[in-house]
Amino acid sequence: MSGITTNKTDHGLQSQINERHKERPFWLIGNPDNRRTKGLQQARLQCGLKPAEVLPYADLLKIWRQGGSLAEVVNQSLQRKVTAEAAPLIRIDAPGEQWDVERELLSLGAKDSDSHAEPCSREWFAAEEALKLQQDWGRIYAPAQWFNGWKCCLERIKREVTDFWPSARFLNDPEDIATMFDKRKCQQHLSAHGIDVPPALQSSGRIMSYSDLRAAMQDAGMYRVFVKLACGSAASGVVAYQINPRTGAEIAVTTVGMAVVEGRPIFYNEGRMQRYTRREEIEILLDWLCAEGAQVERWMAKAAYGSRVFDIRQLVAGGHAGHAIVRLSQTPITNLHLRNERMLPEEAGVDDYRLGLVHTAAQRAMDAFSNSWSAGIDVMLSGGDQPRAYVLDVNPFGDLLYHVQHNGLGTYEWEMDMLRKEPYEHA
Amino acid sequence: MQEVKLTVSYDDYENDIRMENLIKELAAKPEAGSLESLIIGDWGQAYENSPDEFMNALIEGAPSFPSLKKLFIGDMGFEECEVSWIIQTDLTPLLKAFPKLKSFAVKGSSGLSLEPLQHANLEELVIICGGLPQEVLASITNAQLPELRKLELYLGVDDYGFDGSLEDVLPLLEQGRFPKLVYLGLKDSDIQDEIAKAVAQAPIVDQLEVLDLSQGTLSDEGAEALLASDKIKKLKHLDLSYHYMTDEMLIRWKRSGVSVDVSDQQQSDEDDWRYPSLTE
Repeated sequence: MSGITTNKTDHGLQSQINERHKERPFWLIGNPDNRRTKGLQQARLQCGLKPAEVLPYADLLKIWRQGGSLAEVVNQSLQRKVTAEAAPLIRIDAPGEQWDVERELLSLGAKDSDSHAEPCSREWFAAEEALKLQQDWGRIYAPAQWFNGWKCCLERIKREVTDFWPSARFLNDPEDIATMFDKRKCQQHLSAHGIDVPPALQSSGRIMSYSDLRAAMQDAGMYRVFVKLACGSAASGVVAYQINPRTGAEIAVTTVGMAVVEGRPIFYNEGRMQRYTRREEIEILLDWLCAEGAQVERWMAKAAYGSRVFDIRQLVAGGHAGHAIVRLSQTPITNLHLRNERMLPEEAGVDDYRLGLVHTAAQRAMDAFSNSWSAGIDVMLSGGDQPRAYVLDVNPFGDLLYHVQHNGLGTYEWEMDMLRKEPYEHA
Repeated sequence: MQEVKLTVSYDDYENDIRMENLIKELAAKPEAGSLESLIIGDWGQAYENSPDEFMNALIEGAPSFPSLKKLFIGDMGFEECEVSWIIQTDLTPLLKAFPKLKSFAVKGSSGLSLEPLQHANLEELVIICGGLPQEVLASITNAQLPELRKLELYLGVDDYGFDGSLEDVLPLLEQGRFPKLVYLGLKDSDIQDEIAKAVAQAPIVDQLEVLDLSQGTLSDEGAEALLASDKIKKLKHLDLSYHYMTDEMLIRWKRSGVSVDVSDQQQSDEDDWRYPSLTE
């Protein structure tokens, strides 16, 4: 962020700086016409900013596959040649919710794959095969491969932008986005920065299966854990799993549905919470999750509001804590799209002291990503009289929040307004 | 000081904080004398540890709590412990230690015993659980609770400990067992229709103000019986919230003139399976 303060800068210089920033083009790498892109464009319009120039993932991934580069997409999309002097501000948005993009990412992930390196039963598609996949709604396709593709995509964007337009800036740095997306790396990163996160389950070896997981839980005496698909977004591939140490009973609560197709299990996202108590089912589920790569951490009791527990999605942008949404749930999983109820902090009785803990935790989490400007940070409070705030997740695209205002502005308006007033320089 | 809730969180437990000590500390405070309601929340890894660990502290501390009217053992949420995993114990000595108690609530039924259930002043008994064992149900039907005004039982499902049947519930509907009873809750049951049919014409309804058949698998079948009963019409309130009744039935309730809560309508799943509310 610009370190300029108005009172110390003479008026002429200020207006000169504003002038320079005013025209900085804003590129949006995303999926055109979805609610994110529309919301952002609407906000720019309202803030008196020029519309973002949209670079579609579908085009980018296709051109790469055909041997081209980001420069071609830029020239094509903007219908002019963009020179190396261009100093755009680039926002990388979520690639999800568009099937042709999903397929391309799976295909990209296959190209760089070295599936022999890790001997496990994870699902893989060959690059060509991935492109021909027909969408089976809700199915979670080869998540490790998808993540591999997504990381390749981010790396390549960074590389090509640096090569073609050295003076360009990213709102959120692609490397940071990759780290935020990888729940294992992200929690380690936060922990290394002294931020409170739920303790990870320690294990002497890698946890690759249900039996590894059981053994590690026994050794650690940690009987309640969250097993999270390392690269899953939202609540996709999250399991609240517990073992009763006395009776051996086990319960897995999750949104992952399972079915058997042609003798093999497939996994998909269910809109409703599933509850598995049979060992055979739990074993299939956790074998898959662990093989695809999972973050396993202590399931900590969240603060309750009545009979529901909650955590808070706290938006941080430009160093400021903005919009906050309390996500309430009758189950251990609180994410917004699960028809869980949402409230404003004051409605859910979160007092200023507790909200202050959330703000501090979220801002510190954001500070740990010094090359990134905004994220939606999920923070839980522990119960009791002396609550502590724990950071659960850092969502680089966590600003799509409806019907909530901060200083009278929606999330995108607030962010764009801030960019207008405090142009973003460093990344 | 009116009400205190004591909880040992996971971190507390790991740091050697024990419910026994919290109770002793509370008993030593001068405010203990005016305490009216004591809620024992999570006592730390309640899926492994029973209230035996702090029971003596509570019994020995009883003289320090002369004003105590309400006692709740096990007020914890699913984030702390699944209700069917909460280890309870024989709580009879507690009731004996607090002869002036008016309200007693328990959450969790695994290992729970209340035999014999006798108390001269108890007005309210609430047991929240995933499944109420037949043995505990028998202790309640044979109880001597002359002052009991409110009885609220979560009957639950067999997977979580309900090993009885309608036969075990029927004695509760006999008149004269609890002469002062005005609130009867037989809830969270997967035989809610059978219970509704049995209770619709039961003599005990004549003495009730509130009948609570909520949180279970009540469908139109049970609702028909309730609607057809003149006894039910005389109730001050009927709680049928969380149910599997159809929209048509809800309209009939609306027109019935009965003060009834029919909120939280549920949909049975694809296999037409219906679950009570508290089955985790």
